[in-house]
Amino acid sequence: MTFLALEGLGKRFGSHVAVDGLTLGVEKGEFVSLLGPSGCGKTTTLQMIAGFVEPSAGAIRLEGRDLLAVKPAKRGLGIVFQSYALFPHMTVAENVAFGLEMQGVAADERRRRVGETLELVGLAAFSGRFPRQLSGGQQQRVALARALVIRPRILLLDEPLSNLDAKLREEMQIELRQIQRTLGTTTILVTHDQAEAMALSDRLVVMNQGRAEQVGPPHVVYERPATPFVASFLGRTNLVAGETVRPEKIVFAATGLAGKVRTRIFQGNHWLYQVETASGLLTVIRQNSGEAMPGEGEQVHLAWGKA
Amino acid sequence: MSRNGPLALAYHALFVTFMLAPILVVCFVAFTPEGYLSFPTDRWSLRWFYAIGRYPEFIAAFWRSLWLGALSSAIAVALSVPAALAIARYRFRGREAMTALFMSPLMIPHVVLGVAFLRFFTQIGLGGTFTGLVLSHIVIVLPFALRLTLASAVGMDRAIEHAAISLGASDATVLRRITLPLVLPGLVSGWALAFINSFDEVTMTVFIAAPGTETLPVRMFLYIQDNIDPLVTSVSACVIAITVLALVALDRAYGLERLLVGRSGDGR
Ligand SMILES: Nc1ncnc2c1ncn2[C@@H]1O[C@H](COP(=O)(O)OP(=O)(O)OP(=O)(O)O)[C@@H](O)[C@H]1O
Ligand SMILES: [Mg+2]
Repeated sequence: MTFLALEGLGKRFGSHVAVDGLTLGVEKGEFVSLLGPSGCGKTTTLQMIAGFVEPSAGAIRLEGRDLLAVKPAKRGLGIVFQSYALFPHMTVAENVAFGLEMQGVAADERRRRVGETLELVGLAAFSGRFPRQLSGGQQQRVALARALVIRPRILLLDEPLSNLDAKLREEMQIELRQIQRTLGTTTILVTHDQAEAMALSDRLVVMNQGRAEQVGPPHVVYERPATPFVASFLGRTNLVAGETVRPEKIVFAATGLAGKVRTRIFQGNHWLYQVETASGLLTVIRQNSGEAMPGEGEQVHLAWGKA
Repeated sequence: MSRNGPLALAYHALFVTFMLAPILVVCFVAFTPEGYLSFPTDRWSLRWFYAIGRYPEFIAAFWRSLWLGALSSAIAVALSVPAALAIARYRFRGREAMTALFMSPLMIPHVVLGVAFLRFFTQIGLGGTFTGLVLSHIVIVLPFALRLTLASAVGMDRAIEHAAISLGASDATVLRRITLPLVLPGLVSGWALAFINSFDEVTMTVFIAAPGTETLPVRMFLYIQDNIDPLVTSVSACVIAITVLALVALDRAYGLERLLVGRSGDGR
């Protein structure tokens, strides 16, 4: 049986439809990302699972039981909010201990589990600090520890990494993935960062205007986008005679589509080309292998394997 | 960039002079030995401070003012909390009307309120009672309490409460452990501002208070109608001294800026 099932889930605010008949099954231990542009209904979906937004249509089932009948405080979900939402008047340890306290876990046991979880997120040394005395990345990890320590049935993450700089974000992605693997917690991540979604998830749900456009493993969605929206949202694409072709699939060959290099940009590990052809301007990405590459103004032929 | 050009400095100096000069003059006059207001003078005496001892009604009025301010402000703050939380969070029918109602005492001249309360309290048998004073003061300090309570309620991230709920906290626990501590700076500032306004109020109170329920400002006001001696200046000097001590103590304990501006100090 599906662990978590969203069945025709919908939410309208007045006349505006924020989520429109979303159906999705999530397996136990799975890491699923809701990916889509701003305003497509990702947060609203997550909030409906959490219980802070009431759906106007559809059902949510957890292990077959109607989740909507359960109060938010009783759902046993761990949530990391985009703003972290740490308790500013409590120390790191108190923040993490809060959920255990609510569960009535004894003080000794509480202390042990808080210590363990802070260890897991690498913040054991910071337990006495207040949130305002931590960096953005550290606060984010406290929020994660606070959600994980209650051993939630599902971990809900709403753009938890969006406030971090690129390097820290990458580190946190790796850490998040490791922690999720170690604990095997079913996780739903909301993000508009396609690289992040692809790096972390077992499956992607690409959303547009409140609907799921495509659901599948990252490489499948990337390689075989079901709709033009998915194709254009996930990375650069070329549209050649109604067919989408990823820029890195195109090679320079002796024969093929003739064209002329308009611009060539060196980007360290790869070259980015814009080539004028009879089918329009195509983007080509070639790995930098140290070999000589066609220069600007040169005549070239483009070839790609049929998908 | 010069933030304090000569003009700005002159302006600040004038501003401070206008604010402080009357207070300083009052304090000087309090130490004169004459039986009338004289300034400047070169003779000093504590005569008028000793004189306060002969007017126990001043002391009683001072304590009454303190209690009145403390009590009416506390009740006003207690009423403000649910009102502020509701106004800050929910778009409900009558929300604007409710805000306007709570803020309306700011708009009505205190003379009018005084006359109205006098009639009203006399009708319902509360004329000249301390209860009547408390009720009327709650009305006039409510806008101040609500303003600052509202500011801190609006500034609060709802996700923080949602986080607590998702961790299994009941509504009551969320209120006690999360919401109230987070709006506390606003409550304290709201109370302080309300207290100052209550303590200071004379225009309305002079209509409502009776012998035996006079507040300090009312007692002073009535005194100078019949007397020209500097007793009120020595009383004022005492009030000023107490105010300064209280402000220093508050600044030590809380930070004045935080208190009066109603900013929560934990820099979220
Ligand atoms: N409380 C609300 N009242 C009215 N409209 C709302 C409300 N909450 C969300 N919406 C609308 O619903 C739509 C979906 O919002 P949602 O917050 O779910 O988007 P999102 O996908 O999370 O976007 P982002 O990436 O910007 O966070 C938006 O058009 C938004 O304006
Ligand atoms: Mg969102």
